[in-house]
Amino acid sequence: MIFRFWYFIRETFVSLWRNLSLTLAAILTVAISLALVGSSLLIREGADQATAQFQEGVEFIVFMNADALENQNEAIRKVLDTSPAIKEYVYVDKFAAYEEFRELFVDKPELVESVTPEIMPPSYRIVPSDPDADNVTELARQFSEQPGVKEVATATEAIRQIEDFSTRVSQALLLAAIVLVAVSAVLILNTVFTAISARKTEIEVMKLVGATNWFIRIPFMLEGTIHGLMGAGLAVPALFVVDSRVLAYFQESEAVPLFRGFAVPDGFVWNTSIWILVIGAAIGMIGSAFAVTRYLDV
Amino acid sequence: MIRFETVTKTFKGEVVALREASAEIQRGEFVFLVGPSGSGKSTFIRLINREEVPDAGKILVAGKDVSSLSSWKVPYLRRNIGYVFQDYKLLPKKTVTENVAFALEVIGRPRPIIKRQVPAILELVGLSRKADRLPEELSGGEQQRVSIARAFVNRPLILLADEPTGNLDPATSVGIMRLLDRINRSGTTVVMATHDRSIVDTMRRRVIELDRGMLVRDESRGVYE
Repeated sequence: MIFRFWYFIRETFVSLWRNLSLTLAAILTVAISLALVGSSLLIREGADQATAQFQEGVEFIVFMNADALENQNEAIRKVLDTSPAIKEYVYVDKFAAYEEFRELFVDKPELVESVTPEIMPPSYRIVPSDPDADNVTELARQFSEQPGVKEVATATEAIRQIEDFSTRVSQALLLAAIVLVAVSAVLILNTVFTAISARKTEIEVMKLVGATNWFIRIPFMLEGTIHGLMGAGLAVPALFVVDSRVLAYFQESEAVPLFRGFAVPDGFVWNTSIWILVIGAAIGMIGSAFAVTRYLDV
Repeated sequence: MIRFETVTKTFKGEVVALREASAEIQRGEFVFLVGPSGSGKSTFIRLINREEVPDAGKILVAGKDVSSLSSWKVPYLRRNIGYVFQDYKLLPKKTVTENVAFALEVIGRPRPIIKRQVPAILELVGLSRKADRLPEELSGGEQQRVSIARAFVNRPLILLADEPTGNLDPATSVGIMRLLDRINRSGTTVVMATHDRSIVDTMRRRVIELDRGMLVRDESRGVYE
């Protein structure tokens, strides 16, 4: 069994080396496509983080004073429950607000340390029946006059622009990535096919002396899988560069204060990297599986 | 050892390669397949090791019906059947030893067994002194000996040879035939397709003649014609 293992490894790498130029092309295409897939995911996540509070139709948020009285809260709730102008709302208490704050600024522990749940303002996230800007402004003004209300934040044009921008960019990247993923699978198929053609006599002899189909297939499938994994391996550092350069650039931007929330937690980059590796291996396996079933079967 | 029961094989539905052929070959026999090009000799051989599947009829090899064998079992059938080609099919970048060892490696034989069996078989075919040569450094006859060593190293029950002397001069061919005869005398059934009249006439073994897919003659100590 150990002997077979080394046989497969040896055969795989000999074949990779023989086909060097095609191999490099396949690996680079995989790397580029997966870097795009990853960037698309990072940008979407960054935008989600930046606009976290204003999702799912929430148009404005009523922040209460941290020490607001219970009857002040009740008064607000009563309006929210009865007013036809309000479609739905979510109450975020100070503990939930604190959790969210911690998640958002996980990369800035000094900021997290400076707050406690007690000083976090509880809030109502409100979905109005009519999301028209004038209507929202009017509703916000009404709520800001209620006792116990600290301030009312509305989903400004800026937030909508961030969401639009990030959606469009990540969709464009994703589309390009899907095309490139398909291209790289075909390229891997071709590389493996070339490897198969280069060893025609060898394969013929193997079949006639009674090597099993899997014994013949495995080195070629390993070859394809290695293309995919190596490409993914190159894409992973690219993700960290995107995270530390591109997203950080947004965060430091003074022009649009909201971009400062445009960060992804470190864990997210690692998770994405693992997915990229899995996708890379899958592309390689699928591409080479096509090649071996089409060109190698008895 | 090998039994054909009214076997028919056509290609693309028109070209008849074999028409209702029946024959029985006993263990340890030496059989020549003769007939003009396109008479079905190669198909006959390829049906035995399941490179082809018959359209009708049954083929029994060592008691098993190979025409209905499921495809994952085919490799195990072939481990009992050696195969010698007209054009040797040696791997050009491997030495004589590596070419022969390859046949054992790819069926997962352990290394100690390979180390023992390969030199023994090279001794048998008379190539011990050229064990580290590449195929291109050998004569045609020597290359065919390597090919026979590779086919026989696993001690198969049956040895199939498709025109093994087709590319060799008469003197060299005699040497190859001596080798195949020796292998046959060790108990291996040999089926050999050939055009070589003098070989068939000299050896006087069983001759099966095919003509346009029909089995037209089967003699136990036959001549070419």
